[in-house]
Amino acid sequence: MLRLGSAVFLGGMAGTGLRLGIDLALPHADAEFPAGTLLANVVGAFLLGWLVAGLWTRPAVPSWLKAALGGGVLGSFTTFSAVMVSLVALVSAGFSPLAWAYLAATLLLGFAAAALGLRLGGRAAAERLPLGGTDAGVTP
Amino acid sequence: MSVGLVLGVLVCGGAAAVIRFLVSRALPAGPGRLPLGVLIVNVVGALVGGVVLGLAERAAVSLELRLILLTGVCGGLTTFSTWSVETVELLLRGRWRAGAVNLVGTLLLGFLACGAGYLLARSG
Repeated sequence: MLRLGSAVFLGGMAGTGLRLGIDLALPHADAEFPAGTLLANVVGAFLLGWLVAGLWTRPAVPSWLKAALGGGVLGSFTTFSAVMVSLVALVSAGFSPLAWAYLAATLLLGFAAAALGLRLGGRAAAERLPLGGTDAGVTP
Repeated sequence: MSVGLVLGVLVCGGAAAVIRFLVSRALPAGPGRLPLGVLIVNVVGALVGGVVLGLAERAAVSLELRLILLTGVCGGLTTFSTWSVETVELLLRGRWRAGAVNLVGTLLLGFLACGAGYLLARSG
């Protein structure tokens, strides 16, 4: 448990650092379109889907690595609170259409990225199986 | 931006990630069930984010503290990747109800919590 917690902590620091870097590279005021957050969330959703359907299905992958990459790096790289804060700031400043556009872009792109990641990760895992020999019943 | 401030943001982000990890393990979802732990941390993080936004608007928190709380604590505590992947997995498994509740429930509760926190903190 201590090992898992440490893995999540270190991964969480790394993911937060990456997100901070994107925020600094693509800065936005409270009532502006948060392109940096959108980018982090879409990329993070794709990568997590790809890992969950792909690498995670390998029995040899240790649980601390899953915790470090999934709950740590990608969990902290992506953010839900920043999306809500931007929506509230945009609505409060009277930019409701921009808030709707941001919400729609986040949901459409983010969930499509997650689905695409799951699909590509699952495909990679399926192609690996015959070589790995873990599905003795399927491989002739 | 000072090295100390960056370190503060990173350490808070890491610590908040551990809290998210512990909460989601304390409330295990099981296949096809609503991942309640992630929903809770996302809504709580949105609430705290709204409070910080409201306080910042009347200059009750410094820019440094705002960065540590919003980017570090709230950003590390909440997650978009787990929320989206788990929702898509629920929908792909045909668990329409759990998937829809996770999607709409997180959004509605998150926005309401963030907005309420913002309005309360702004008015002092």
